[in-house]
Amino acid sequence: MMRTFSSVVRIGAKRGFQQSALRSLTIPFLPSLPQAPGGVKGDVNEAYIPPSPTKLHGSYHWNLERAVAVATIPLVGIPLVSGGNVSVMFDSLLGAVMLAHCFVGFQSCIIDYIPERVYGKFHNYAVYLLGLGSVISGVGIYKMVSEDYGLVGLTKSLWKAKSGDAREEKKN
Amino acid sequence: MVFRSGFGRVLSRGLATEVGVGGSGSVGRFKTFKIYRWNPDKPAEKPRLQSYDVNLDECGPMVLDALIKIKNEQDSTLTFRRSCREGICGSCAMNINGRNTLACLCKIDQDERKNLKVYPLPHMYVVKDLVPDLTNFYKQYKSVQPYLQRTAKPADGKENLQSIDDRKKLDGLYECILCACCSTACPSYWWNNEQYLGPAVLMQAYRWIIDSRDEATAKRKDMLQNSMSVYRCHTIMNCTKTCPKGLNPGRAIAEIKKALATS
Repeated sequence: MMRTFSSVVRIGAKRGFQQSALRSLTIPFLPSLPQAPGGVKGDVNEAYIPPSPTKLHGSYHWNLERAVAVATIPLVGIPLVSGGNVSVMFDSLLGAVMLAHCFVGFQSCIIDYIPERVYGKFHNYAVYLLGLGSVISGVGIYKMVSEDYGLVGLTKSLWKAKSGDAREEKKN
Repeated sequence: MVFRSGFGRVLSRGLATEVGVGGSGSVGRFKTFKIYRWNPDKPAEKPRLQSYDVNLDECGPMVLDALIKIKNEQDSTLTFRRSCREGICGSCAMNINGRNTLACLCKIDQDERKNLKVYPLPHMYVVKDLVPDLTNFYKQYKSVQPYLQRTAKPADGKENLQSIDDRKKLDGLYECILCACCSTACPSYWWNNEQYLGPAVLMQAYRWIIDSRDEATAKRKDMLQNSMSVYRCHTIMNCTKTCPKGLNPGRAIAEIKKALATS
């Protein structure tokens, strides 16, 4: 890792820039790929070439992200207002939407902070790890909904436990 | 006798005060300017802040006036870009007291007890002192093809006509002077400036997407359909907050997202 960093500095020195910022930008325990000096690929007069258009990573992804975010508002709001008496169907829907919302959020973090451009395959590893975590969470949500009180029931029990304690304290 | 000596004392005190306020041989109101310095000829030396004391009584009101005064009178090696000195060229964009702005539009705080710190635009490669490398920024600007694209020539052979309403859509977009204040204020642009286009360039992309005379709208939108070009914008809105021209790049990016969502 140190060697790649020094080679980056050497290439950077050819263009003659202040380079110290690069070190504070990378994650210390992940090896990073050598970067183009000054972030400039090719000739200075050539236009930047964007990634090839894929709607799945572009507008479809964004639309889904927004739809999921908007869907959480009633799904969280209704149990809060109704006092937590919701059906299993509603509870599993809430679990699925929350999981999707978290997945998209963490995916965004990975694209931002562990970009493929800098970390190469470690970007993919991070995405796989997120996928694995989401599957485990999905199984956990399924078990909670099918065998236990479910998400809403669990949240409700937090309040119940406290109020129970308070009653006991009053008795004592 | 008492009256005369008293009068004399008042007079001399009055004179002393007057000299102190205005005259050329005065003490003056010296304000400390701390300016980022880095010399590419000595790359091993770390960047540092260098202090300059500037007499505000003999200096123009803007930060650029002070920088030019320092360069003229104190240190000719101080390097910065400047051209129009009236906020229309975008050359003197820099980080002044923690805010990206144009030095020529930024008034000096007249409280001389406070320091004024000047850095180059944050998170850019520095060429020298206050001069950032904008190569990548211009390459990105070039990639949105900021020019009118039409297949047919205008009917009268002279002008591509546009309704008043369609022209109004360009207001607040065409005024951008590409000073890069907004892009370099954006945390998303700090992390991914090699792939994320940044607010300034995206606002110009939008300016051409909604131009009624342009016929390449579909192609322009298609170019932005990936995870990096637009969608690294997380509506942090630093761009709109910092724009020295009072424009709203955040809104333009939101409009792009809306246009892409329905296309």
